[in-house]
Amino acid sequence: MVGMRTAISIRIPYHRLLDERGAAIGELPDFARDPAEMLRMYRMMTLARVFDAKAVNLQRTGQLGTYASCLGHEATHVGVAAAMRPEDVLAPVYREYATQMWRGVTMREILLYWGGDERGNDFAGPRQDFAWCVPIATQTMHAAGAAMAFKIRGEPRCALAFIGDGGTSEGAFYEALNLAGARALPVVFVIVNNGWAISVPVAAQTAADTLAQKAVAAGIPGFQVDGNDVIAVRDIVANALQVARGGGGPVVIEALTYRLSDHTTADDASRYRCAEELRLAWAREPLLRLREFLVEAAFWDHAREQDLLANCGAQVEAAVAEYLGTPPQSTDAMFEHLFAEPTAQLLEQRETARRYAAKSGGH
Amino acid sequence: MTTFKLPDLGEGLAEAEIIAWHVTVGETVSVDQPMVSVETAKAVVDLPVPFSGVVERLHAAPGDIVPTGAPLIEVAAVMAESSGPARTAASTVVGKVPSSEEELIETFSYSRPAAAAQARGRAVPVARALAKRLGLELGAVDGSGPGGLITLDDVLARANVGATPPAIAKMAARAQIAPQPLRGARRAMAQTMTLARDQIALSTVCDDADIEVWGTSGGQGGGYTLRLMRAMARACVIEPALNAWYDAKENARLLLEHVDLGVAVDTPGGLLVPVLRNIQAKSPEELRAALVAQKAAAHERALTGEDLRDFTLMLSNFGTLAGRYGIPQVVPPAVAILGAGKVRREAVVVGERVAAHLCMPLSLSFDHRCVTGGEACRFLAAVIADLELAE
Amino acid sequence: MVEAIAMAHAWEMQADPCVVVIGQDVGANGGVFRATAGLQQRFGSDRVQDTPLAEAMIAGMSVGMAAQGLRPVAEIQFMGFIYPALDQIINHMSRMRYRTRGRLSCPVVIRTPHGGGIHAPEHHSESTESLLCHIPGIRVVSPSSPARAYGLLLAAIRDPDPVVFLEPARLYRAVRQEVADDGRALPLDVCFTLREGGDVTIVTWGAMTADVLRAVLELDKDGVSAEVLDLATLSPIDSGTILASVAKTGRLVIVHEAARNVGVGAEIAALVAEHGLYDLQAPIQRVAGYDTIMPLFKLEQEYIPSVRRIVDAVQATLAA
Repeated sequence: MVGMRTAISIRIPYHRLLDERGAAIGELPDFARDPAEMLRMYRMMTLARVFDAKAVNLQRTGQLGTYASCLGHEATHVGVAAAMRPEDVLAPVYREYATQMWRGVTMREILLYWGGDERGNDFAGPRQDFAWCVPIATQTMHAAGAAMAFKIRGEPRCALAFIGDGGTSEGAFYEALNLAGARALPVVFVIVNNGWAISVPVAAQTAADTLAQKAVAAGIPGFQVDGNDVIAVRDIVANALQVARGGGGPVVIEALTYRLSDHTTADDASRYRCAEELRLAWAREPLLRLREFLVEAAFWDHAREQDLLANCGAQVEAAVAEYLGTPPQSTDAMFEHLFAEPTAQLLEQRETARRYAAKSGGH
Repeated sequence: MTTFKLPDLGEGLAEAEIIAWHVTVGETVSVDQPMVSVETAKAVVDLPVPFSGVVERLHAAPGDIVPTGAPLIEVAAVMAESSGPARTAASTVVGKVPSSEEELIETFSYSRPAAAAQARGRAVPVARALAKRLGLELGAVDGSGPGGLITLDDVLARANVGATPPAIAKMAARAQIAPQPLRGARRAMAQTMTLARDQIALSTVCDDADIEVWGTSGGQGGGYTLRLMRAMARACVIEPALNAWYDAKENARLLLEHVDLGVAVDTPGGLLVPVLRNIQAKSPEELRAALVAQKAAAHERALTGEDLRDFTLMLSNFGTLAGRYGIPQVVPPAVAILGAGKVRREAVVVGERVAAHLCMPLSLSFDHRCVTGGEACRFLAAVIADLELAE
Repeated sequence: MVEAIAMAHAWEMQADPCVVVIGQDVGANGGVFRATAGLQQRFGSDRVQDTPLAEAMIAGMSVGMAAQGLRPVAEIQFMGFIYPALDQIINHMSRMRYRTRGRLSCPVVIRTPHGGGIHAPEHHSESTESLLCHIPGIRVVSPSSPARAYGLLLAAIRDPDPVVFLEPARLYRAVRQEVADDGRALPLDVCFTLREGGDVTIVTWGAMTADVLRAVLELDKDGVSAEVLDLATLSPIDSGTILASVAKTGRLVIVHEAARNVGVGAEIAALVAEHGLYDLQAPIQRVAGYDTIMPLFKLEQEYIPSVRRIVDAVQATLAA
């Protein structure tokens, strides 16, 4: 009978397949020996980085609103994406562009959203993926709900929710884990521990040694992975999804990485972070490590790197041009999609808004 | 702008000496580029540039001893390819808080919540609206409600309209009688005539018919009324404009062929106007019978709603009582009413001589919105012409 | 305004050792808007705490601390994130004194940035004060100038009962004003008359106050003399000042950024209809946000009532 004896001891396995110089540790999974797979991941990580820098630039030049950079998180984001299937459902936070782009969200959609236009959330690609989620941790509950639907319908699909280290302090996170465990839902929670919740370091966020161990309270398995090792991330997430998909219940994976950027373009991390820490983190950054592995495996070289950068640059520029060239929504957009059919009040107010939109110098 | 402080280079070393700088003020530097060589108690250590940007200031010169934690270098951090607007002091974590040096000059006051003061000119909204429509100044209206509140009755009284003005109540008290509410025919008349007065553009033309040729028996047994009815029916053929209905809202008129004549009957209960239908198609006998029947029904209070509706023309033979000329009231939607006064011997001019003839005074009122003076006079002329026939 | 807020914190923390500041990023970072800048350095990390990321816990912890005699001043980073805290605010903060017949009470201030106009991402531009004003047992206050932010925050901290303090984010740095750091509080539960006038009463609060004052300058040119009342305490409403003003002017325009339907303007209109109907010479006008979700920032200036809409509403009530 539970509770009548010393019940459990906690062990959170840590998974890593590349060392900090990009050299393989032990036996690598099959996909790591496939140049096509590896390069596909490397290209997406690079595209994400190039896009990210451009997005920050757009914000600095007043062409984009506040933007949350993904700098430094590329291995976690791509590793997760590559492990997921198209029919799975993603519940992102608001930083995981590489995961989303792998799954078909366009750069234009990302820019529209941060550019203050709701159409960015109307993904043309992954129609069932959840939208960017600003209220922290609430997306974990949505993922659990989607997983519940899969279970009820008997579909071999998984939900996957991202959450940050700060997010694991929210009640919503615990409630989602608990339900997922209690009902053995096909959902994987990926905690992106990048060390910082705006200005609050993980040490101030919780007394727990790991965030993955919060899974133990919910009775589900928890693992840590080197979040800057894309091979390890893909490997462990793929395994977790397999377990979940097969009816083995939810899994929590904590990816250890570092937020190389500020929390958002409006934040200034130098106020609360020391430069030395940042410098050391740069030395371990994911693209560098993967590149070293690829070069060592003779999958890559300097010339191809230049080509890739140029190619990514061109793709990003094209997306930016699309974004900047998108005509803005009219005031009518404010009154659409409140309900399936607008109410009489809304139609009246739509007229008022039209009148005032037409007037010049409204303010 | 970020200040990089000398870090603890190992095992709690307290200070280091600057040996040589590898960057200069104003230089754009990138992460990991060699920055400075310092010597500690244990070794010479090369420190790399901590982040990309432009070197703004070096806090120490070669040979200086710098304590651990003291400022070493200031670098203006610059993102990738942009030298866009640096983050300003308008700090936030999302969005852009509008920032300005504009000075706010204001004064403000407050008081502890107090009861609302009694203000002049407080009026019930519907009273206020009515006063405005009537062009009345609220200040000129005495409020009879609590605290001088102006009620609807107050405004009506000031406009001398409806309700019980204080004067009537005073008189009733003085005479020790109660005001008599008007009911039935009297009530209907008050309502109808109010409506008529508000809507009709009343005009009246008067004349006399010389009925000397009738002889002395012509008027008996309702004879005047029957002759008048015949004359009016014939006049409608000659001048149809007076047998019409006018629709003010649509500004349209219905020219009617059938003449349904409303005949005013004075009863103890009040004025009743039974209608004789299609008088233009009835024989004299039929007309006589209908007239007798309706008059009797009026006196017996046996008239139905059907009997009283939809007249197209009206006749008021008030002359049976008294009166010469009048200004009879047209009742909408009809547009005309003929009033006949008391038949009397008048001095009339025949050729060059004055004679005493029997004359019937006539007053034709018409709604000038719909009927012209010419039409009215033509109608009247036709009536007179028929009346002046011997039979 | 944000500096006035920091100043008020510092004054009261110095004067009253029971005052404790909690919230996300309030300590080392001084608050994402710098509203608590310098406090942790001055008063230490027991009295100025960076909490874990959990709004329900921030509010709940405040209840516990307050029951023990501390005076927590808790920051919820944006009003859009107050919703998890509503459980604690409504189910406990508002009724602690009531359920214990006064034995326990809840002298808590919850501060949060309020309203849009700062070009922010989703959920950072909320004006859902009606949800809170409907709850008996709490006060809801919103300052409209640095001076009133200072004085009202002091009053809120000193008040023995819970206060939700809604700080208009787009006014944080919009103007500068000399504010004496003298520890003098302004009264709660009263309107502030910002401008006297005889033709129309305009009641507003928060960030819309600045827009109303701009509208009034325009109306001046047309010879319209407007009286401007800053509601300041949204609940309970100072109906006395409003009714006295309407008795004088006979016309009322209410301006708020929050959505029209069941906004605080509806309560003010009902109060005036109940107690001041006979003073009104024209129907009451409300200028409010549309009954839609606050749009993303590309359209936010179309949502937020403009100076033009305010002027038009005043003209409409004068013509009626």
